[in-house]
Amino acid sequence: MYINRFLLLIVGVVLIFFPAIESWMTSSEIAWYRPYQLWLLIVAAAYWNQRKRYPDDL
Amino acid sequence: MIFSLTQILLVIIAYLTGLFAVAHLADRGIIPKRITHHPAVYVLSLGVFAGAMASNGVIAMAHQFGYNFLLYYLGVVLMFVLPLILLMPLLRLCRVYQLASLADVLTFRFRSPWVGSAVTVAMCITLLPLLALQIQAVAESIHILAGDNAAESFGGNRNNLLAFLFCVIITVFSILFGTRHVSSQHRNTGLVTAIAFESLVKLSAMLVLFLAAVYAVFGGIGGLEQWLLENPQTSNQLTQPIQGDDARALLLIFFAGAVCMPHIFHMAFAENNDSRGLRIATWGLPLYLLMLSLPILPVTWAGVKLGHELPMDYTGLAIGMALQSGAISTAAFVAGLSASSATIIITTLALSNMCLNHLVLPLSPLQIDKGQDIYVQLKWLRRVLITILILAGYIFFTTLNGRQSLSQLALVAFIGTLQFLPGIIATPYWPRANRTGLLVGLSGGLGIWFFSMLLPLFGEQSPELLTSIYTLLLGHSNNLSTATALVSLGVNTALFIAISLVTRRSSDEEKVASEICSMDDLARPIRRILSVYSPAEFSQRLALSLGENTAKSEVEKALSELQFSSSENRPYALRRLRARLEANLSGLLGPAVAHRIIEGRIPLLPSAHTDAEDIHLIERTLDQSQTHFTGLAADLDNLRRHHRETLDKLPIGACSISADGELLMWNQSMQRITGIEPTEVLGSLLGDISHPWGAILEGFLRGDTETVIKKEVAMDHSPSRWVDLHKTLIKEHDHRNTVIMVEDITDIELLEEELLQNERLASIGRLAAGVAHEIGNPVTGIACLAQNLEYESDPKEIRFMAQDILKQTSRVTRIVESLMNFSHTGPYLEKTKLAPANLADCVDEAIHLLALDREAKPVRFDNQCNRELLAMADSQRLLQVFINLLDNARDACDSNGQVHIRASNVGDQVQIEVEDNGSGIPQTLHSQVFEPFFTTKDPGVGTGLGLALVFSIIDDMNGKVHLTSPSSPDVKTGTRVTLYLASACYGPDFEM
Repeated sequence: MYINRFLLLIVGVVLIFFPAIESWMTSSEIAWYRPYQLWLLIVAAAYWNQRKRYPDDL
Repeated sequence: MIFSLTQILLVIIAYLTGLFAVAHLADRGIIPKRITHHPAVYVLSLGVFAGAMASNGVIAMAHQFGYNFLLYYLGVVLMFVLPLILLMPLLRLCRVYQLASLADVLTFRFRSPWVGSAVTVAMCITLLPLLALQIQAVAESIHILAGDNAAESFGGNRNNLLAFLFCVIITVFSILFGTRHVSSQHRNTGLVTAIAFESLVKLSAMLVLFLAAVYAVFGGIGGLEQWLLENPQTSNQLTQPIQGDDARALLLIFFAGAVCMPHIFHMAFAENNDSRGLRIATWGLPLYLLMLSLPILPVTWAGVKLGHELPMDYTGLAIGMALQSGAISTAAFVAGLSASSATIIITTLALSNMCLNHLVLPLSPLQIDKGQDIYVQLKWLRRVLITILILAGYIFFTTLNGRQSLSQLALVAFIGTLQFLPGIIATPYWPRANRTGLLVGLSGGLGIWFFSMLLPLFGEQSPELLTSIYTLLLGHSNNLSTATALVSLGVNTALFIAISLVTRRSSDEEKVASEICSMDDLARPIRRILSVYSPAEFSQRLALSLGENTAKSEVEKALSELQFSSSENRPYALRRLRARLEANLSGLLGPAVAHRIIEGRIPLLPSAHTDAEDIHLIERTLDQSQTHFTGLAADLDNLRRHHRETLDKLPIGACSISADGELLMWNQSMQRITGIEPTEVLGSLLGDISHPWGAILEGFLRGDTETVIKKEVAMDHSPSRWVDLHKTLIKEHDHRNTVIMVEDITDIELLEEELLQNERLASIGRLAAGVAHEIGNPVTGIACLAQNLEYESDPKEIRFMAQDILKQTSRVTRIVESLMNFSHTGPYLEKTKLAPANLADCVDEAIHLLALDREAKPVRFDNQCNRELLAMADSQRLLQVFINLLDNARDACDSNGQVHIRASNVGDQVQIEVEDNGSGIPQTLHSQVFEPFFTTKDPGVGTGLGLALVFSIIDDMNGKVHLTSPSSPDVKTGTRVTLYLASACYGPDFEM
């Protein structure tokens, strides 16, 4: 199976820095819906990404 | 606001009836296909992930852990946002091999029915808390709505009775719409649409709760903000993260849940085989979950503000009751009801498939010989299993007696299924993994889970030894669940890796692993020889296991899917048919049973040759795939394409044949030469290629010679063609393929024939003067005789004169006949007709013709050939040979020249020598004299084609030419040309 290095990097970064990201998100006086804004950004990125053909598509 | 039990039951029945209606309308096609097959429906159906935990449990989680409740959603979001990690490989695997569950995948990968059985049993046990969670959420909601107090609602008889009623209704629905198609190949349109509808209902109900919380409880967004400012402890609790390790563990648990949970697996892969749907789900599902989770915090805070006494899981109901709003209470109840029912239905459906394929069918319960339709039997078996599973979930729920919170139950189930993650990851990524490692790892992980998570649900204490280990490994973690998850998964993975490394894989495992784990999802099929030779034989063999009708219908279906005809007999096509049948049967009976049936009924023959990869199929798959390689893979693929293109566009026909005679390659030139398309012959046996090419190529392949020159190919409906054939053996590892090159020389043959004719005409031209003289003399004589005849009256003299005239005309006729004979070429490219030919007569004829040339030197031709000697030759062409040889000999001699022609038998051949005493040919020119247009004569005298044609004609007659000059070492002059032809004799039917 072809392992996409970029994806591995992203997963690694997410797993390693997840607590740090969470701390940053919740560290100061912020609007309670800030995590949702970040989440929406992820959705937009996923939408943009799926418009391209996946290199590993079926 | 309190509801009566009747009202609540009416709500349940009304909701589920609506669900029935949606499923029914979708199945009947009344809801248009453009809606039921829209990717949005697939995305919404994946909302099945959000069970009662999403509608109820996360509210308690948000209250306790703040933002960390988002981890429940984010794990799944991460899995779908990055589908290339596991989702796409699994989708491809499920689609190609018709796998419908995790147990199917692991059984297929590790080639063991024991793996399937073990995974199924483990999955059923780990999922019991999840089923109990759903039942508990609905049962407790009913109790709260009915006005029972909290203490009573936990585990009372009334509670259990209502839960049982709910289970019965759900069972009926699952049976009606979940078992419509027996094969996992077919999408349950009604079910998928109904689950999508449930997701919409769930979302709508949650949004109603959101509006109620924000506007009815807080008086608007501003009111909510104000309340948060006034209650900083709530804000602090929100932003107080749990331990980093715990957060990571929770993220991993829910990340794994997206593929390990059977209900999500079922909706993602079994009910979908299209990558387009999955691509849209990569952003669609995260968006859906975002909207679903958005109301959670405001609803939680509303619950805190209202200060209700109910468990936080039921805050939605509490808001409705506090606001005295039946609509809000109903919305909260329906949110939980829709979430729970969807999860129960799909989970039990998926588990029933697994139980059927891996626990029941291996025991061979199907009645084959009584003519019963196995499809009906399978349907009923599945229905019974669904009933048993929901009943088991109900019993587990009653045994728990409401002791655990919803989120605790969810964590137990999720951590249990987390143990399958190493196996799933190893399936596409680690070819070295084996079944022993998997089973030992699973036992280790599930053992820890059992003692640390499952037993404590019933009030048992986690063993002190395990607790000590957790503390030792992870420090004083606050959360036992996440500690158990990390330790059990760690032990599971470590055992899996270690055992896989120290134990050996079976050969079957190795093959499948290399097939699945190959680069870029490309399977590397192995080419083996089958024991059956036609689709009809497939049906006959399979009928022994499936029954006649089922076997026939499955073979016909597979043929139609592959677009093969029922008369197909190419080994390549039959191998594909076998693989397709196994995949289709896998969707029907599970991979273990399907594999057993196919291996038993349609076995592969033990091959004398080492298994070779199916090059043709690999090329085809590579060319058809939309894969864009990167790095080294891209370079290799470009190189492959370059070589492929080079071979394909080669101006010489090239075909490759495996050791067992199967055709692996057929380039464009082969197509041009033979008129046979590659698609017609690739994968077939060489001898099966249409006439006349099959016989010619196979004969050449089996023959000893590596080269055949000027092979004539007699075509059925067109002129003959001539080809040169060459072959070479290619040894690659243990494989021995043969490459045959076919060079079309028909044009060269035509040109040669044309040259032969030109040479004849040139010879006739040279003889023209002599012919004119030869004919002129008798004509003059005839004229004189005719003049005398005019005045002659004596009858006797007239008779003598007439006889003289006849003699003269017969002389003219003979000359003309000789010329006609010589110049005659017959039809265009007439085949050389070998027949016994008298050599002496042929030589005489040539000498006679040459004698017509009056300008030539007066050389003496001495025909010493035995009058009885015959050679197998075409006398017309042989005459041309002697004309050319004698003419050359005469040119080489001076006026006293002598040319001797001798013939004798040497074994089964006739040796003919044409020897002159001329100037001879220098040794340096020996190699060139047989080349066309090579001449030592003055310009304009010779064409340079004489000896070239001699060589060509003698070669056509299967003879040989040998040149010796000087003819004798003593005299150092003269030339001797020796011809070898097969000797012959007249047959018994020969007439003089």
